[in-house]
Amino acid sequence: MELVKKVLNNDRASIAKAITLVESSNPKDKDESKELISSLINHPGHSIRVGFSGPPGVGKSTFIESFGTYLVNKNYKLAILAIDPSSNLTGGSILGDKTRMSEISKSQNTFIRSTPSKGSLGGVSYGTREASIILDAAGYDFIFIETVGVGQSETMAANLVDIFTLIVGPGSGDELQGIKKGITEYADIFIVNKNDGDLKLQASKTASDYKSALSFYSKQDNQAAKEVLLVSSIEQQGMDSVIDTINEIIKFNKLNKIFDARRENQLSYWIKEEIRNQIQSKLDLEVGNDTELLDMTKAVIKGEINIYDVSDHFLDKFLK
Amino acid sequence: MNKKNNKDDQLTEWKKKFEAETKTSRADNFIINTDEDIGIKPLYIEEDIKDLNFVDVGSLPGHDPYTRGPKASMYVNRPWTIRQYAGFSTAEESNNFYRKNLEAGQKGLSVAFDLPTHRGYDSDDEIVMGDVGKAGVAIDSVEDMKILFDGIPLDQMSVSMTMNGAVLPILASFIVAGEEQGVAVKDLSGTIQNDILKEFMVRNTYIYPPDPSMRIVADIIEYTSREMPKFNSISISGYHMQEAGADNVLELAYTLADGIEYVRAALSKGLDIDDFAPRLSFFFAIGTDFFMEIAKLRAARTLWYKIMKDFGAKNEKSLTLRTHCQTSGVSLTEKDPYNNIVRTSYEALSAVLGGTQSLHTNSFDEAIALPTEFSARIARNTQLILQNETGVSNTVDPLAGSYFIEKITDEVASKAWEIIQEVEELGGMTKAVNAGIPKLKIEESATKKQAKIDSGDRVVVGVNKFQNPKEPKIDVLVIDNEKVREDQIKKINLLKGSRDNKKLEKSLNELTEDAKNGNNLLYSAVKAIKNRATIGEVSKALENVFGRHYATSVGVSGVYGKYFEGNEEFMHVTKKIQDFEKLYGRRPRVLVVKMGQDGHDRGAKIVATSFADIGFDIDMGPLFQSPKDVAKDAVENDVHAIGVSTLAAGHKTLVPELMSSLKELDPENKIIVFVGGIIPEQDYDFLYEKNISAIFGPGSNIIESAEKVIDLISDKNNQ
Repeated sequence: MELVKKVLNNDRASIAKAITLVESSNPKDKDESKELISSLINHPGHSIRVGFSGPPGVGKSTFIESFGTYLVNKNYKLAILAIDPSSNLTGGSILGDKTRMSEISKSQNTFIRSTPSKGSLGGVSYGTREASIILDAAGYDFIFIETVGVGQSETMAANLVDIFTLIVGPGSGDELQGIKKGITEYADIFIVNKNDGDLKLQASKTASDYKSALSFYSKQDNQAAKEVLLVSSIEQQGMDSVIDTINEIIKFNKLNKIFDARRENQLSYWIKEEIRNQIQSKLDLEVGNDTELLDMTKAVIKGEINIYDVSDHFLDKFLK
Repeated sequence: MNKKNNKDDQLTEWKKKFEAETKTSRADNFIINTDEDIGIKPLYIEEDIKDLNFVDVGSLPGHDPYTRGPKASMYVNRPWTIRQYAGFSTAEESNNFYRKNLEAGQKGLSVAFDLPTHRGYDSDDEIVMGDVGKAGVAIDSVEDMKILFDGIPLDQMSVSMTMNGAVLPILASFIVAGEEQGVAVKDLSGTIQNDILKEFMVRNTYIYPPDPSMRIVADIIEYTSREMPKFNSISISGYHMQEAGADNVLELAYTLADGIEYVRAALSKGLDIDDFAPRLSFFFAIGTDFFMEIAKLRAARTLWYKIMKDFGAKNEKSLTLRTHCQTSGVSLTEKDPYNNIVRTSYEALSAVLGGTQSLHTNSFDEAIALPTEFSARIARNTQLILQNETGVSNTVDPLAGSYFIEKITDEVASKAWEIIQEVEELGGMTKAVNAGIPKLKIEESATKKQAKIDSGDRVVVGVNKFQNPKEPKIDVLVIDNEKVREDQIKKINLLKGSRDNKKLEKSLNELTEDAKNGNNLLYSAVKAIKNRATIGEVSKALENVFGRHYATSVGVSGVYGKYFEGNEEFMHVTKKIQDFEKLYGRRPRVLVVKMGQDGHDRGAKIVATSFADIGFDIDMGPLFQSPKDVAKDAVENDVHAIGVSTLAAGHKTLVPELMSSLKELDPENKIIVFVGGIIPEQDYDFLYEKNISAIFGPGSNIIESAEKVIDLISDKNNQ
C-alpha cells in the first residue's frame, strides 16, 4: 500500500489523509482503513501516548501550547489529536482549539489534528485509536490526545493512552467531586493550571486539596504514585516537572511490566469493542429495516405479545 | 373643552385614521424593532417624554447633563472640525497629502499607520513581509516621523494619531520629531488613540497582554497630564466596535465602560481626576440608522456626565464628553459604489445633528481600497457642503424637544447603562475583556446583522435589492507593497549604520528595566527614540518583559442558522452538504484564516459561524499566521477548502505564497482556496491566475457563497 510507505516516511499530507480514512463514516472506506491499520500496526514506533482531559475552561489547549512548545524546544517530535466537542445538532462544528496553539503549530516537528467529536460518547471520537497508531508509525515521540472530560468519558479516553492526565483550574470544588467518584482510577497525573497572577493562592490551595483527597485513595502495590503538579501555562512555569513526572511514571511502569500490561488490556478492549460494533451495525442493518418489527411492536402495544418474546424472536433470527 | 381632553380626542382620532390608512386593526402593534431591540413606534407624543430615566428635556447646551452639547454655542460659534484620516504607504506621500489638504481648508490632520507599525514590527521583519505600507503609513523610526511632518508646524497643527499597540514608540517619535523641529513638548497638540481595551475586543492590533497594556495607557495619561497640557491622552473608541458589528447600545456601553476603566487606571497612578479627565476624548461610528445615531451621541454625553460626577470630577471639561466621529466603513458597499457617497452624506448629517466635535467622512471607494485623490476630495466636500450650504450650524442641537429624539435618547442611555452595570459586576472592563464577554456579544450582534441582510429582512440598496445591472468600474489606488518595503529597509539600514550603538543599547536596557520596576515608560521610550532606536526595537525591549499577547476566540454558533429556519435556499445548501457527507464519510471541512498582521476578524468570524450553521466543519486558524503556517494547518487537517479573509490589501503577496506553500507540502492537494473581504476588482484576474477558486467581496450573500463553496468542493473531489 502506497499510503503505508508514505506514512512511515512521515509525509505530512499522507498522515493527514490516513487519519481522514480511519475517521470516515462511509462504510465503503472500512476495508481500506482495516488494511492500512493492519499494516501500520506491524511497524510500531516508540510513541508515548499521553491523554489530557479536563472540564471546559481550565485551559487545556493553552497548556498543550505551552507544554508542547517546551517539548519541541527540546527537540521532541510531537503529535496532537484534539477532540473538539463543539458541535451543534443541525450544523457542523467550529474547531477552535488551534486558535490557542499558534506558536506550537508553526513548528516543523509537530502535527496537530482537530476532530469534531460528533457527540460520540467518551469525548473521544470514532477513529482516535486508529489515528494514534498512524502517528506512532509515523515516528512521533509523543502523541497527545486532548479530550473534554465530562463524567464517565475519562474511562474511554484513558483506554487509549499510556499516561492519563487530568487538568483542572484553581478553585471550583466540582472537580474534587470527581475524585470521589473514582477518577483517580484513571488519572496518573493531576495538573493544576493557572498558577499565576491573582489565582496563585487559589491554585496552590486547589493542589493541596487534591493531594489530601488522593491520600484517601489506597495505592495498590506495584503502581506508580499519582502526582499533583502546579503549572502556569501563560508563564510557561512548571513544564519541567510535567515532563519529569511523565518520564518517571513511564520508567516505573516499564520496569514493573505495567506499561505492556496496560497496552495489552487496551488491545483486548479494542477487540471486544470491534466485535460489539460489528454486531451492532449488522443488527441495525437487519433488524432496523425489518417490517416485521413494526408489526410486532404494534402487537406489543395491543398487549398481544410480550416484549421479551419479541426480542428473543429477533435474536434467534439474527443468530441464524 | 380643556386642553387635555382635546389631546386625548386627537389621539383617538389619529389612531382611527392610522388604522384606516394602514388597514391594520391596532396602531399600537405597529412597532419596528431596531438592532438595539428598541421598539420604534409610528408616533411619539408628549406623554412619551414624561418621567425619563436620564434625559432632562428642558436642559440647555453647555449645562448638565450636557445632553444638548458640551458647549453653549456649539457650531454657531465654530463648526465641527473636518478631520480626514489618511495615511499613504510612505511618510513622503503622506506628507504631500497632508499639505494639500491643509491648503484645501482642512484644520487638523489624522495619521493612519500601517499594520506592522501598529503591531510593533519594523518593515524589515520577515514576519510582516506582506503588510508593509498596507492600510497606512510605515513608520520605522523618528526619521520617518520627521519626514511625515516636514513643513507642518507641530505647534500650530493638531495631529491625531490612530495608534494603540505601539503607542509608546510612536508617541515618543512624535515628541522627538517636534523637539527636533524646535517645538517644545508642552506646545504639541492633538490626540493619540491609546485605547487598548477595544483592541482586545475587536480590532486585534495589540502587542502585549491586557494588564501590562493597561499600565502603558496609564503611563501615557500620566506623562501627558504633566508634560503635554494641550494633548488628548486617549481617544476612547466605539468606532471599531460598530465596524465589527456591535449595535449602537453595545458600542456606547462598552466605550463608556472602557472610559471608566481608563479613569481608574489613571487614578491608580495617584493623579487627581481633574488633572487628566479634561483630556479624555471619544470616538464613535455613525452608521445608517439616522436617528439612533443622533440619540447615541446625546446619550453618550448624558451618561458620561453622570459617570464623571460619580468619580467626583469638578472641572466642567472633565464632565463633558467630547467626541470625534467617523462615518461607517462597514455600511459602504462594493456594489454600485457611488451609492456610498449618499450613505456617507446622511451619516455625516446624523453626526452633526448629534453634536460631534470633529468628523471624518469616508470616501466612497473605502469598501475596496484606500481613497484616491478624487474620492478623498468628494469625501471632504461632503462636509464642506454641510457646513457652508445647508445651514445646519445656525442653531444649537436643533432636534432637542422632539418627542421621538428625546425618548430614544433616553432609551439608548437606559439600555447602555444596564450593560455598564453588568461590566461593573464582572469587576470592570479588563476583567470582562479577559473573560471574552464583550467580544462574544459583539460577534453575536454582527452575525444577526448579516443574517438580516442575507434573508432580505434589511434592504441594502444595490446589494440585496435595486441592483445595478451595469456595475460601474472605478479606479482605485494601487500600492506597490514590494517597493515600499524595499525603501523602508534602505532607510532602516541607513539609520542603523549612523547611530551610536553604545548609547542606544544603554537606553534600550533602561527601557527594559523600567518595564520591570514600574517607572513611567514614556520617559525612557523618548530617550531610546532620541538615540535612534527603531519602533521595533523599542517594542521588543518591552516584549522581553511583558510577552506578546495571542488572542483566542471561537465564534458563536446557532445565531445565523436561527434566522433561516424553514428557509428554502438555506435547506437547499444544507441538503447538498448532507449528500456530500454521505458520499465522503465526513462533512466538508473548511479552514477559515486571516494572514499577516491584519486583525479585523469580523468577516472571518461571520463566515465561520454561519458556514458551521449551514453544515460545514470549520477550522478556525489563529490570527497573524504566515501563509506557511496556514498551509501546514490545512494539510494536517486534510481540509477541503481554505477561506482567506483579507481587509488590508495583503492578498497580492500573501495569497500567492499560500498557494505555493500548499503545493510544496502536498503537490497533489485538492484544496479549494477562496478569498473574501476587500479586494479591488482589478486584482481578481491576478488571483484567478494563482488558482484561487472564488472571490467574495463585501456584501456577498453568505448562503450563496456557501453554495458556491460546496459546489466547488464537490466538483474538485469528483474529478
